[in-house]
Amino acid sequence: MATFLILAVVMIVGAVGVITLKQPVHAALALVGTLLTLAVTYVTLEAHFLAAIQVIVYAGAIMVLFLFVIMLLNIQGETPPAVLAWFRPLAYIVAVVAAAAIATTAFMEPRSLPDEVQIATALQGGGVEPIADVLFSDFLLAFQLVGVLLLTGIIGAVSLVQRKVVAVQEARADGATKELEHA
Amino acid sequence: MDPLLITLAKALLLCLTLLGVFAYMTVIERRILARMQHRLGPNRVGPFGLLQPIADAIKSIFKEDIVVSAADRLIYFLAPFISITFALSAFGAIPAGPAGSLFGFDPWIMDLDIGLLYVFAATSIGVYGIFLGGWASNSKYALLGSLRSSAQLISYELGLGFSALTVLMIAGTLNLREIVELNVWSVSPLLWLPLAVAFFTFLISGIAEVNRTPFDLPEAEQEIVAGYLTEYSSIKWALFQMAEYVNMMTAAAVVSTLFLGGWRGPGFVDAFIPGMSEWPFIWLILKMAIFMFLFIWLRGTLPRFRYDQLMRFGWVYLFEIALGAALLAGAVIVFAG
Repeated sequence: MATFLILAVVMIVGAVGVITLKQPVHAALALVGTLLTLAVTYVTLEAHFLAAIQVIVYAGAIMVLFLFVIMLLNIQGETPPAVLAWFRPLAYIVAVVAAAAIATTAFMEPRSLPDEVQIATALQGGGVEPIADVLFSDFLLAFQLVGVLLLTGIIGAVSLVQRKVVAVQEARADGATKELEHA
Repeated sequence: MDPLLITLAKALLLCLTLLGVFAYMTVIERRILARMQHRLGPNRVGPFGLLQPIADAIKSIFKEDIVVSAADRLIYFLAPFISITFALSAFGAIPAGPAGSLFGFDPWIMDLDIGLLYVFAATSIGVYGIFLGGWASNSKYALLGSLRSSAQLISYELGLGFSALTVLMIAGTLNLREIVELNVWSVSPLLWLPLAVAFFTFLISGIAEVNRTPFDLPEAEQEIVAGYLTEYSSIKWALFQMAEYVNMMTAAAVVSTLFLGGWRGPGFVDAFIPGMSEWPFIWLILKMAIFMFLFIWLRGTLPRFRYDQLMRFGWVYLFEIALGAALLAGAVIVFAG
């Protein structure tokens, strides 16, 4: 329990850092810290496979790409112009309401943790097999649908970039012909 | 004795060994490269230059530790430590002998069911060291080095993962100890082709992952000074160097463990001395030494890739070949296994 409390505090500090730090790289690093702490929490729950995947996929791949884009565009910690002045107070209200809702649910309906022995038997040492068993039987349809969803996302991204490239090329070709005509 | 204490002692021993080997690998590399280029190499300090690492260590400790004034202090300071910490921890899951062969203890730090994923996870966090070091230096060249390294690592991780998948499908486990005990080559002769292909794609991706020639674009000295290392000096620079060599050793150990039987020796040596193929440490060290020599040999032989060649090779050839090998292995297992 003490371990969990420490991890929870680190995770919350990290999560607050993500939204409060001005420098985008720092914010992204705070998110990396949060994700790694979550992975450690999985290890303390004996879910080793989940922990490893958490680190490889989120911290190792997705966050590296985030940082890559931040560094490539060289985004500095600049405050965006306040286009939507009414937005800020509204955001505070929404946040307070959401926090209150979560807190009320947590305190009004406290749930006891599942029995540790029960979890250990279900996880079978936190390996790959228990997860694969349910993923490729009970949740097969959901698993396949997530695959299709990801593919859709990739195709969407490629088509957006592609259209831009074609437009640029056409613009260049136009410019070239005009220059020729001019000459 | 307390098992935690034993694990800690073993981990400390492993770290010291890896760092000691790093010190001598620098000399060995310089000597071998010199030999390949008809030079002498470092041979002044001690017999055959054997005391060179000590001289280098003293030098790098006493050199001025320059901190770039426009650097992001905290991250600039943390980056080399991230690199070396995760490089050292990645090695912990690799078994070096049969159970109980290290004076009655097991010759590995951790026997994890997800062993291989653990190695991948640790190395993928180690990337942050290079990546953040280059960014925090607040210099064009360092940032270019960082961007190159992250793009390269992400691209070649695919080839690496799919090559490993071939072995995992055949072995049916992620536990490195069990993979060694099973010996993937003995499963079926039909699987030799995908295994051989996966071996080469894994080796090539591994070299790319540790940023060695011909994949050393992140520190290409003719183009971007020294890439992410440009603004580092003194002991912080040395820490990055340590991490690079430890990563090389991990790559060599993982290739040996997955594809070449890890700590096991070839069976025919048992004819000379019974049980010799089960001796701990020596076989793994021998296999790693061969790969380390190969890495140095490649550095002495091959020119560096151009950046677009690097990306095309990774995404268009290596990834597809590794994927093909994995599919072939899967088909063999399903239809002929």
